[in-house]
Amino acid sequence: MSHAWRPVFVVLAVIVAILVMRMILVPHDFAAKNGDYKYQWHRLSAETTSKDFTVKYKGKEFCQQCHPDLVDKINASGHQNIQCENCHVMVESAKKSHPIDLKGDFGYLLDIGIDRSRELCKRCHAELSYRPQTYVMTKGTVKETVKFKQIDPTKHNAGIECVMCHDVHTAGFKAAGK
Amino acid sequence: MEEHLAHGALWTIKEGFTYPNEYIYWTIHIVVYPYITGLVAGAFVLSSMYHVFGKTELKPVAKFSLVFSFALLLMATSPLMLHLTHPLNSINMILTPHFYSAIAAFTVVYLTYMAIVLAEIWFVFRPFIIEQAKEKKGLLGLIYNAMTLGSYDVSEKALETDHKIVRILAAVGIPAAAFLHGYVGFIFGSVKTVPLWKTPLMPFIFLMSAIISGVAGCVVTYILGMSLKGNFICGATIRSMCKVLVWFLVAAIVLEGIDIVFHAYTAEEFWSIMSELLFQRFAFKMLVVQWLLGMILPLILLLLPRLSMLRAFISAMLVLIGVFTMRWDVVIGGQSMSKSLGGFLTYNMPIIPRSMETFLEGPIPITGLLLMPLLLLFIFNKVLPVFTEVFNEEDCGFTEGLLSKKDHVNH
Amino acid sequence: MSLSRRELLKMGFLAVCGAVIPLSALQILTPEAAASLIRPYSEKKRWAFVVDTTKCVGCGMCVKACKLENEIPFNTDVQRTWVERYVQLKDGDVLIDSPQGARHGFTKNDPQGKEVNEAEIAKGFFVPKLCNQCEKPSCVQVCPVGATYKTDDGVVLVDKNWCIGCGYCINNCPYLARFFNPITNSADKCTFCYHRITKGMNTACMDACAFGARKIGMLNDPASELAKIISTERVSVLKPEYGNEPQVFYIGLDSIVR
Repeated sequence: MSHAWRPVFVVLAVIVAILVMRMILVPHDFAAKNGDYKYQWHRLSAETTSKDFTVKYKGKEFCQQCHPDLVDKINASGHQNIQCENCHVMVESAKKSHPIDLKGDFGYLLDIGIDRSRELCKRCHAELSYRPQTYVMTKGTVKETVKFKQIDPTKHNAGIECVMCHDVHTAGFKAAGK
Repeated sequence: MEEHLAHGALWTIKEGFTYPNEYIYWTIHIVVYPYITGLVAGAFVLSSMYHVFGKTELKPVAKFSLVFSFALLLMATSPLMLHLTHPLNSINMILTPHFYSAIAAFTVVYLTYMAIVLAEIWFVFRPFIIEQAKEKKGLLGLIYNAMTLGSYDVSEKALETDHKIVRILAAVGIPAAAFLHGYVGFIFGSVKTVPLWKTPLMPFIFLMSAIISGVAGCVVTYILGMSLKGNFICGATIRSMCKVLVWFLVAAIVLEGIDIVFHAYTAEEFWSIMSELLFQRFAFKMLVVQWLLGMILPLILLLLPRLSMLRAFISAMLVLIGVFTMRWDVVIGGQSMSKSLGGFLTYNMPIIPRSMETFLEGPIPITGLLLMPLLLLFIFNKVLPVFTEVFNEEDCGFTEGLLSKKDHVNH
Repeated sequence: MSLSRRELLKMGFLAVCGAVIPLSALQILTPEAAASLIRPYSEKKRWAFVVDTTKCVGCGMCVKACKLENEIPFNTDVQRTWVERYVQLKDGDVLIDSPQGARHGFTKNDPQGKEVNEAEIAKGFFVPKLCNQCEKPSCVQVCPVGATYKTDDGVVLVDKNWCIGCGYCINNCPYLARFFNPITNSADKCTFCYHRITKGMNTACMDACAFGARKIGMLNDPASELAKIISTERVSVLKPEYGNEPQVFYIGLDSIVR
């Protein structure tokens, strides 16, 4: 046989090596699902991984287990649509202050605390001319459009924490003497 | 709380309205990658000019450009590896390729091309390898013996076969090289979100600039290598290379020009931001360096009569710089225009390495990468000498005589 | 019997018309076609999203909730969902911004960091953005290794362990919904909270929104409020020209929205 075939054998050997490597290394559940090679070519077990990701943001029902009074109060107020976590989840470690170890005892993974800064309230209540002026809330069984209270933070008692006068959980003023 | 910087935030400066997740994700490595692949394709096309089209005056550079092409090819994947955030996963490209993706075929195209180049090198150097295998002892002898692949047949018939196969491989190699780089152009041209890239001309623009950079790279390296060895350089060879350079320079200028004219004339939604990029932000890089210094000036220099070695060298250097700038302008410029069409992202390469990420993204690995092919060529030259005097002064004079006679007949 | 050419043509024409009309009539009457008149999207149930920009106040609570739920480091400037502010001035200038993706909300009238006089403003609004979970996702098409894919119910997910990090999907997303996760270093994107919606919950951003600006649901599901909105109200999508067929539908979009 001619010497010219020798490089061909080298190429064939490389191809065989790649094929053998593929047989060993390709995950056995890698497939084109529904025959859709364009959009569904993937490791099928990865779907389960995505589904099994932990839920962290649990909503009012979770908090209600220990704070039924506060949840009832807020549900009856203008703040009824707001989840506890919107305000009470802390991203800065300095403000974490929940007395019970939620992570250890309840498997709750977020950090809870109290943020009394004006910045938090301004996210909704700072006056911007292009902010919607009303929102919808449920009173009993009826849906009602209510006026959305907005203030100019530079003029409205600047420098004082909002919670000095306002009760966040009732969305009203604090009772006198309290 | 531990602070993490977004990938890209280190080197991207945002202006106007850009989307919050928008950064320059493809950086210097992706500038260098098409640059090196372009050099590969260009160098190979040059070597085929001798084997396929029988341009005898290119004989002295035929072997050199082939081996140079291989040295560059070996480095072509390294910028890609440096740019991946999971380089170890890159084997997935072979394991589970998704051929709807323009990059998935890269391994196939790359390896096919590699096989062609290696085979051609083997057939071209076979008599030399066998001779060395019989002569040399020790490690070098072992290397040569392995390189013979066990065949020591140097009969007349065998050499005749070699010659035929080299012609075939060189001929097949041209479309393969064109495909390798046209394909790189397609990878960019098919990104529908970047208006500067999205043009069907992209593969051809990339191919033309590839060939000019490859030929220019060969001119520069060959003159340098031969001068360092103190060997005689045949003027006819250099002039012939420069002629190839001129033709492809014209093609590159036409294609890149059409592209810009089309964008300006159709003036689609993105033209306002694109014209700001072309004529203000990237005006120096694009108009001065890429167009004037990188294409127009070398073209004039090469077309002026009585081309000297020095002028050829300078023109080729200018082309090399111009093509590198063109890669920069395309890759970085394309991403500089925010996809909101309402803002700009400026790329600031981290010069001083402060962390692993800034080191990898900085100039040090890139400089190494660009010098590596030269180092590889130096090493290969020890085993397969390419900087040899194929033509002595007499041969050269003879070839020049032939050429001028041919010219005479043509006129 | 012999036919003139004119007669032949006439008969041929009539025959073609006769053949075509019943066919086209049947086309409308096929069950699939009839169904598509009521439900103009694909027959299979798939997840979709509605964003009502007229209700968004720009508080950014959705961004905060999303970052915490999906473990995207809070202070890193990449996000799965974000809110953009559009302010058009009376002189025609448009100011758009989304500082830090609006994870701290919009608390000041300072589009693009510039204080703007209220009197100069012609109109303004907020546009929440998230992955459009396209029917024809270009990001999936271009992934070289099959590390990103579309599920049967239409959500585009990333296999973070298989991703090589080439960034091709990021550059091919017209909406910039993708980014590199600073912890896994893989491409990352909004999953419509796949781990929540497949358990019957809402997405974290929808739960966090006090104003009902965000809604998730199944297309073609008669029980879903989302399907009702999409089939009865005027909705639009972002950047339809790219042909990705995005599945996040917007109420109250404007021509200045990018």
